Amino acid sequence: MAIAVQSGRRRTKRGSSLPIFLVAPAVILLLLFTIAPAIYAIDLSFLHLKISGGLLGIGAPKEVWAGFANYIATLTDPEFWSSLGRMLIVAVIGVPATIFFATLFALCLDVKRARLVGFTRLAIFLPYAVPGVVASLLWGFMYLPATSPIGGQIINYFGTTGVFFSVTNVAVWGVVGFNMVILYTAVRSLPPDLFEAAELDGASELQIALRIKLPLIAPAITMVALFSVIGALQLFNEPTTLKPLTNAITSTWVPLMRVYAQANVNNDIYGGAATSFILIIMTVGLAVIVNLIGRRIVGRESK
Amino acid sequence: MRKSTLRNVIAAAGILAVAGATLTGCSSSGTTPSANSNKTVHLTFTNWDGGMQTVVDTWNKANPKIQVKLIKPSGTGYTLYNKLITNNKAGTNPDVTEVEYQALPALISNKVVVSLDKYLPNLSTDFSKSALAQVQFQGKTYGVPQNICPMVFFYRKDIFAKDGITTAPTTWAEYAADAAIIHAKNPKQQIGNFTAADPGWFAGLAQQAGANWWTTSGNTWNVAINDAASVKVADYWQGLITKGLVSPEPNWSAQWSTDMNKGNLVGWVGAQWGPNQLPSIAKDTAGKWVAAQLPAWTAGDNTVGIWGGETEAVTSNSKYPAQAAKFVNWMNGSTEGIDSLIKNVQVFPASTPGQALPSLQTPPPFMSNQADYNTLMATAAKGVRTFQIWGPDANVTFDSYSNAFGSALQNKTPLSGALTAMQNATVGDMKKIGFTVSTNAN
Repeated sequence: MAIAVQSGRRRTKRGSSLPIFLVAPAVILLLLFTIAPAIYAIDLSFLHLKISGGLLGIGAPKEVWAGFANYIATLTDPEFWSSLGRMLIVAVIGVPATIFFATLFALCLDVKRARLVGFTRLAIFLPYAVPGVVASLLWGFMYLPATSPIGGQIINYFGTTGVFFSVTNVAVWGVVGFNMVILYTAVRSLPPDLFEAAELDGASELQIALRIKLPLIAPAITMVALFSVIGALQLFNEPTTLKPLTNAITSTWVPLMRVYAQANVNNDIYGGAATSFILIIMTVGLAVIVNLIGRRIVGRESK
Repeated sequence: MRKSTLRNVIAAAGILAVAGATLTGCSSSGTTPSANSNKTVHLTFTNWDGGMQTVVDTWNKANPKIQVKLIKPSGTGYTLYNKLITNNKAGTNPDVTEVEYQALPALISNKVVVSLDKYLPNLSTDFSKSALAQVQFQGKTYGVPQNICPMVFFYRKDIFAKDGITTAPTTWAEYAADAAIIHAKNPKQQIGNFTAADPGWFAGLAQQAGANWWTTSGNTWNVAINDAASVKVADYWQGLITKGLVSPEPNWSAQWSTDMNKGNLVGWVGAQWGPNQLPSIAKDTAGKWVAAQLPAWTAGDNTVGIWGGETEAVTSNSKYPAQAAKFVNWMNGSTEGIDSLIKNVQVFPASTPGQALPSLQTPPPFMSNQADYNTLMATAAKGVRTFQIWGPDANVTFDSYSNAFGSALQNKTPLSGALTAMQNATVGDMKKIGFTVSTNAN
């Protein structure tokens, strides 16, 4: 802290060239690799490829102005809305499950009588360190009847309804640990005298957890919810990796898979760019909504 | 459900930048074209077939002036072709690339590959008409056909015999009858599977039934993916799947491998290259499989479709197209090249003289019990029937196949409906790109 304050003072004295210099690499990289490609993608989304005459085209195909055609094509494609619907189903199952388990584990680990906290915390966190593709393959093998140790012979994990739970399970399994760490840190940073006071008043561990800790970590829970919602919108790895195992998952199963298929399978990077841009707008919109709801909940709690 | 932080993005961007620099480093194929014949020319060649490095090494040893570097692509099939189309503008494509027959029209219409007529004027003498039809468009030749992959029927002779079936089914009616016998004797066993993962597989079956998904008249395309022949094939398999005689599981999954290896699936409608793949799918069953002529729709008819098959093409980015064409012609058209392909990549050559090479008398290792394996391929190759032409957006058709058939199998809706979805997706895309399309059935 002291150092930060000091450097802050120095900054005001010496003028502002050093901070700019320090920040410059990050800004340049951001401009080069995030902003510039984004602008290029927006540009692409208003173009499309046209061949001219002949059976297989005379001369190279040209990029021509498409106006909003790509956007209209995406928005009027029933498959786009179906993929969005499937993503929402996964989100509706996955987001509450993530929040519930992450909160549950965080609160359990903070219970006074909890033993082996370090080990358990690591064990719960560990799946987060497993790459999504590996996790999906691992679970995929557990789901398939031929290799399933968890009853895949009896339960159809890739049934028309089951597939949603199977995909969600892989995703939730992967992120619960990460979110648990955020919430656990939030719980640990609460002033312990609050709990002592509650204990003196005769509150049980359960009551302390539900009535004191839970409301106090509500902002952290909101953040976890926001991460989970954004994560749900970015669902791609898990269904893509599970796709070859089953007929239940198509190449347009969730919106991002649809973007990938458009750009890299159907060779229509223009349509893919338009769909991406629509998704970004939706993601930002949803993030704002979740944030507002979260703030309102937190605001109400603190009153 | 993972949050990507700014740091991750920057790190990824950094990695990409480095990778990009490396890639450009690899793929530049020399600096300036040179007429000086003493200078060594370096070519790059993209191909994902196992065993190809040995073939390339053979060439490099014999041709010190034209050195070829083999590059394994990061993705196979359309992942590669779309990358080639995108990179074509940047000029970073390899000199020579592997192209499956169905993707060649797309690469031609995007001007990714060049005509080889200038460099290889005498190509046609070594290849049959049906082989050349895969690489010739509007009088120009765009590649040297490497192999021909007639569809064949693989079956577990031991299990068939145990169930009292002594000969392979010769017609699809017999196949259905055998399927019923096998499933009745052991409900765990099925004669095969219907794969939604392999559009080329269904296309091959449709070719056998007489389908012609794409035809042309002048500059107009005619698309008929849901034609009567294709519907007949879809309906036939629908019947077997509904009765539980054929499994709806896709090829190449862990489930499928296990079922093939454990003998739950006792037959496989495959193609010539099957023995190249089977060792990794069903390793415990080596020597138990026998290949037979694909069942026919009418007894005695030897028409079969193809599943797979590739050509090597020279890209428009290449600075040394003449040398590249020479390499391609050596690999797919010369005795040494074809011989090396047979031994190392287990191809069945498209070249007519190549089909008579002595190295074909040894069956692939997985089929060691079937000495005349390649004789069967030669017979089957004579009956090969393909579409008149592959469409310029077969990628869209193929993707649509997997989605539409996968969904139909999952939701138990009619498979013929999936063909309509494919037809609409294909025609829609062709019109969007600007091809002239008519959809009247022939």
